[in-house]
Amino acid sequence: MADPANTKLGRMLLDQISPAVMVLRTPFVEDSCRRNNLSLIEMLSPYSTFNNIDVPVRTASDQPYRLRKFKFRLFYNSDIRQRSTEAAKERLKQVITHAGDKEISDLCSRQAGIESVITTSAQDLVPSWFQNFNKELINAAAFSEHEGFDHPVACLVAVSSKDKDPVGKFVDLFNTTQLPHLLNDGSMDPKILKYYLLVHDNQEGIQEKATGILAEMRSTFGASDCRLLCINSSVDGTEEHQQNSWASHENSASNEKQFGCFLNKDDIEELRNTMHDFSSKHIIPLMELKIRVLNQQVSATRKGFRNQIKNLWWRKGKDDVPENPSAPMYTFNSTESQIRVLGDYAFMLRDYELALSNYRLISTDYKLDKAWKHYAGVQEMMGLAYFMLDQSRKDAEYCMENAFTTYAKIGSSCGRNVTRCGIWWAEMLKARDQYKDAAGVYFRISGEEPLNSAVMLEQAAYCFLMSTPAMLRKYGFHLVLSGDLYEKCDQIKHAVRTYRGALSVFKDTAWSHIRDHVHFHIGKWYAILGMFDEGIKHVLEVLPCGHQDKLTQELFLSEFFQIIQETGKTFEVLTLQLPVINFPSIKVVFEDHRTYVSPAAANVEESLWQALEEDMTPSIAGLKSNWLELQSKVLPKKYKESNVCIAGEAIKVEVSFRNPLQIPISVSNVSLICKHSTESDKSDPASNGSLDEDKNDTGLRTVSVIGETSTDASLFDLSEVNISMQGGETVLIQLTVTPKVEGTLKLVGVRWKLSGSVIGICNFQSDIVRKKVAKGKRKPKKSLKDNLEFLVIKSLPRLEGTIHSLPRTVYTGDLRCLTMELRNPSKTPVKNLKMKISHPRFLDIADQEVVNLEFPTYLKKQAISSRSCTIFDAPKTAKTVFMFPENIASSWQTPVKWPLWFRAAASGSISLYITIYYETEDVSSIIKYRTLRMHYNVEVLPSLEVSYRVSPSPSGLHEFLVRMDATNRTSSQNFQVHQLSCVGDQWELALLQPIGPNLSLGFLMAGQSLSCFFRLKNCKTRGSTEDKMSSLAKGIADVRLVGSESSGLFDTSVSPFDLFHHQERLHQERHDKGDGNTVDFILIAEAQDDSDAEPPRTTAEILSHYTCHCRVGSSSPVWWSMEGPRSASHDFSSGFCEINLNMTVYNSLEDAVSVRINTLDSLPRSNSITKTASVSGYEYGWHDISHLTDAKVTPDSMGGRVGKALSPESVSSFIWSGSCSTRINLEPLSSAEVPLQISVFCEGTFDLSNYSLQWNLRAGDGGDDGNESRVRSGSCHGRPYHITVLQKEQS
Amino acid sequence: MIVCVAVVGHQNNPLYIQSFTKGDDSLLRISILNVEGCSYHSLKRHHIVHCSLDVVDERVNNPKKSGLIINETFLGLLNPTENYKVYGYLTNTKVKFILVTTDLEVRDVDARVFFGRFHTAYVDAVSNPFHIPGKKITSRKFAERVSTIVKSFGLSSGG
Repeated sequence: MADPANTKLGRMLLDQISPAVMVLRTPFVEDSCRRNNLSLIEMLSPYSTFNNIDVPVRTASDQPYRLRKFKFRLFYNSDIRQRSTEAAKERLKQVITHAGDKEISDLCSRQAGIESVITTSAQDLVPSWFQNFNKELINAAAFSEHEGFDHPVACLVAVSSKDKDPVGKFVDLFNTTQLPHLLNDGSMDPKILKYYLLVHDNQEGIQEKATGILAEMRSTFGASDCRLLCINSSVDGTEEHQQNSWASHENSASNEKQFGCFLNKDDIEELRNTMHDFSSKHIIPLMELKIRVLNQQVSATRKGFRNQIKNLWWRKGKDDVPENPSAPMYTFNSTESQIRVLGDYAFMLRDYELALSNYRLISTDYKLDKAWKHYAGVQEMMGLAYFMLDQSRKDAEYCMENAFTTYAKIGSSCGRNVTRCGIWWAEMLKARDQYKDAAGVYFRISGEEPLNSAVMLEQAAYCFLMSTPAMLRKYGFHLVLSGDLYEKCDQIKHAVRTYRGALSVFKDTAWSHIRDHVHFHIGKWYAILGMFDEGIKHVLEVLPCGHQDKLTQELFLSEFFQIIQETGKTFEVLTLQLPVINFPSIKVVFEDHRTYVSPAAANVEESLWQALEEDMTPSIAGLKSNWLELQSKVLPKKYKESNVCIAGEAIKVEVSFRNPLQIPISVSNVSLICKHSTESDKSDPASNGSLDEDKNDTGLRTVSVIGETSTDASLFDLSEVNISMQGGETVLIQLTVTPKVEGTLKLVGVRWKLSGSVIGICNFQSDIVRKKVAKGKRKPKKSLKDNLEFLVIKSLPRLEGTIHSLPRTVYTGDLRCLTMELRNPSKTPVKNLKMKISHPRFLDIADQEVVNLEFPTYLKKQAISSRSCTIFDAPKTAKTVFMFPENIASSWQTPVKWPLWFRAAASGSISLYITIYYETEDVSSIIKYRTLRMHYNVEVLPSLEVSYRVSPSPSGLHEFLVRMDATNRTSSQNFQVHQLSCVGDQWELALLQPIGPNLSLGFLMAGQSLSCFFRLKNCKTRGSTEDKMSSLAKGIADVRLVGSESSGLFDTSVSPFDLFHHQERLHQERHDKGDGNTVDFILIAEAQDDSDAEPPRTTAEILSHYTCHCRVGSSSPVWWSMEGPRSASHDFSSGFCEINLNMTVYNSLEDAVSVRINTLDSLPRSNSITKTASVSGYEYGWHDISHLTDAKVTPDSMGGRVGKALSPESVSSFIWSGSCSTRINLEPLSSAEVPLQISVFCEGTFDLSNYSLQWNLRAGDGGDDGNESRVRSGSCHGRPYHITVLQKEQS
Repeated sequence: MIVCVAVVGHQNNPLYIQSFTKGDDSLLRISILNVEGCSYHSLKRHHIVHCSLDVVDERVNNPKKSGLIINETFLGLLNPTENYKVYGYLTNTKVKFILVTTDLEVRDVDARVFFGRFHTAYVDAVSNPFHIPGKKITSRKFAERVSTIVKSFGLSSGG
């Protein structure tokens, strides 16, 4: 630790605990000094401090030591008394007020962050006036009778040479003037050293007279105790002093006055010499002498064992004496006082050892006497002595604490002593870096007096800050406490200062209650001080206080408005957080070449549209090059990157406002802030700006409310919205700006007016970190700035389009005809219209003449003839972009109407995107084409669930059995199944059992299901093999499922059925099968309205269900059928009977196969040639198990031959005649007939299933093309074919 | 009597502060925080709890100096002042529990028992899948449970 004397406390003690000198003077002396704007003491005091006096001192010990620093204090006789409480208070208040006034300038400075607060040194941070304040507090406790160091050691008597009878005056001064009560009431020795000073003013007369008086004085009072002091030697009174010794007095006097203006160098030198002489030749020797004398006395009476015993005995006896509280307990000649004075003198002469020993001696006495005040005072001095000796910290602290608590116990009369002791104690702890403890002491000092407490708490706060580690929260808390006390004492400036300090702690904390409190009060106090700007800034911080309760919110808000009202101005506030703007939800929607029908369309992701428009619009690369080319001519490069918008078309900005409070607020005049610059005034872009950017950073500015928007009105239109928000509400506001003139438009921010008094401004570009802009350029990385700058180009035609009566909710399969309407409001024609639809399965374009036809009746069969054979080339249209005929664009007087087919193909939520491309005829424009984007959402509910199962009919070669299962999946809707059609000419469909004329087969209630069987015949195959069947013999592909003939069948071969059929085929495409044996079904149903309350619909709802790629075929690629007589009669007496059969074999594969037909007379066994894998490979679907079982149970002919006869009595009664193995080669998709013959030996019914067909792909037919999974061969067992042979009756 | 309990997050952010006094002004010796409105009392306890965090930090950073046993969650008396006492508790996740009481004589055992129960309640509250860690605890059930624990403070061990 540093030398105790060099610590702050050491310097304080040197300053405070120093010999006091009483000054007596005549009014003339004072007058002379007043010429220099100084009192006598003020003039002398700078020279009463000696930094290097170098006087040898010898106290009690024989060893002399040299005193280097010395100081004595000068007091007028009238000041040597304790100040009254009021006076002391007044002084303290003055100090504080003065300090506050000085610091007001700092209050506007920027707030430093807490990090910088920690790093700044303590000297910078702690206000310097604390020292003065503490000094005042200590001085207030001075001149107590129980302490010796404030008792004057000498008396300086000053008489002017102007006085009449100066020598007599010297005597009179001491005798007549009121001497301090300390000398009168016996607390101190009235015999005091006197020093006679004759003050001569050189302005008043010559020096000779003074020297005469001095000689007289010397003869009267003794030569050494008299001195002449000549002052005011300067003639003109304009002396300037290099180092102003009186600078410290500037506090109490006004600054304009020049101190010491009549004192020249000689005067000052004389002043210095006088005081040096006084101290070194009089005060110090006197004190030395007194110490020695007292020490001897004390040693004689108190030191030694005998004296101690005596003392103890005497003390005990003294207890019985009733104390007289009015008179001082100990007079100056009592032993106790002498010891105390001895200690104090030793302390003042830096002989701390001596002082300590005497204090210790007296301390126990006082304690025994229960003289608590004296005891406390001695303890205090002991602590200080320990400190100065730098011994035993614990003892020092213990003594200080003891003194403090003792003083505190005594009560209010010792309040000042408590304070003084506390300050010293705290300083002591601070000197030893025990800041935390020091803070505790300061906290304990703070008592009843609010002003004192405020300062003490503030000091405590700084102690917390300086402790390691810094206790920031406590720092903040104590500053807040202190600030509140300051506020109570009307020291608003100090209150603001402390709160500002606390703010640095609480600024970014999550403890919002505390933060709000601090902000709010700072704001309020600033407003009281008249610094409204600062005040508003702070109150603004607490406005979005959603976490506070309602009352507090109201309080904050009303205070804010009150401050605003007091200013009498309209403020524009950049950081107004009420209402809060949700930045991520800000959306900018503008239309360049992309135009939108609805906001919903604008919200769709850009990439979706781009994908849709890809093959319709000119390619981006091509466009860009053209665009750049054009730009370089027309526009400066600067605007190349900005967005393009069109004059007269609104830019929409969606801003979401949120009210964080629980109380409703009203927000009016919400509008965008935009900056428009035309080509001409580009040199000065700010000229038209409604927001001057230079002012932005101030955050707060006053505006005149009117006249701001007038200049902009011609350039663009702004929409204004007024809203009133309930507590906690979030409102999405759509603001628009419509540029009128070509040029550049920049969206700067949004502006609103809160409760009609404050204008809030939010700048989009500043301090917005995240912001989403819905539509931007194609470059993925784009700065916000680019998105808010628009290049306004001259107006272009803009198409408007709607689709009428597009249903929101439909059932699956619903088929409708919709009308799309396109309008061109502008006069300028557009050309080259194209349209593309995202989901051709759901929405497709129709012929224009459909508009005039009645739907759906014209789709019925009877209308076929009128439309003849114009087959719509569906696949082509669906795939590509639909080009509108050129002629429709020619005239736009009336809106263009175009029909669309809509069919709800699948259930779920469907988003339909439609984009229409058109080109403008104006070649010079930057935008050459535009697209109109439409977006609709359709909710499709499930209706009928239809499934088909097709299995080859055993009865015919090209016949199939179709089972249709339809289930009504709706909850309430009924459907009437109208017809089932299969697509294609080659199919012929019929009900398995015809229904009666009035029987309605296909009525399906909600939840009901229906199964129907149909017979399906493939006419085409037969035609190709047999003859070329004429087209007239086209199969009937439609089956009516309703009984009534009134409703005709729909023609499924025309649009829209074929159109959607094509889409469905594409959609339902199966990848795993390559064979073409599939059939597509269309089920047409009608929705039935059973509720009569509803008005009958104008058009019946038609639902069409497509099921494509239903596989037709058996388990084998080779089909065959056996043909022949089913029964025969024969006269077996004339021999066996031969029956000829005919087998037709059809190859359904795309490859040529060779088929071998083996007729077996024995039971067929599993063929080793057939790989099991290949068998299983063909056994999906319906595989025929019955073959084997049939074969087994059949009383097979020739079974006995192989020795495996199932029954011994079974005798084969027929055999296959002819070749037992026939091989034929079949071309792809062709059939061949194989004649077979059996010979029957007896009558009976026979099962001719004991044959098998083996097929394999013909080698060299491209079978080795790597398609390994393909089955190359297989075998099939014969199917049962029963033939009955009867004995022919002999006739 | 328990005046206030608080849960403070690991970043020293307040998660839950509940006071159990109605208009009791004697909490602070210096009754100067006369803030207008209802936030008056809440502000005080905010300040007390906030301040005690300094002490918590100090204890945690210098466990030896403050005589704290390593891995001990109970931090003991934090703020011995004349009118109220502040006890602290630190969980493994550096969540702090603060207890402010006006009882002049509080046994450590009682405080430990209290914090143990409080910890359990807290764990249950934050185990709620809808609770976002680091956000304020708004569970009503937790509040009810805490008030039950507060009521039973000191009773368990016969105090």
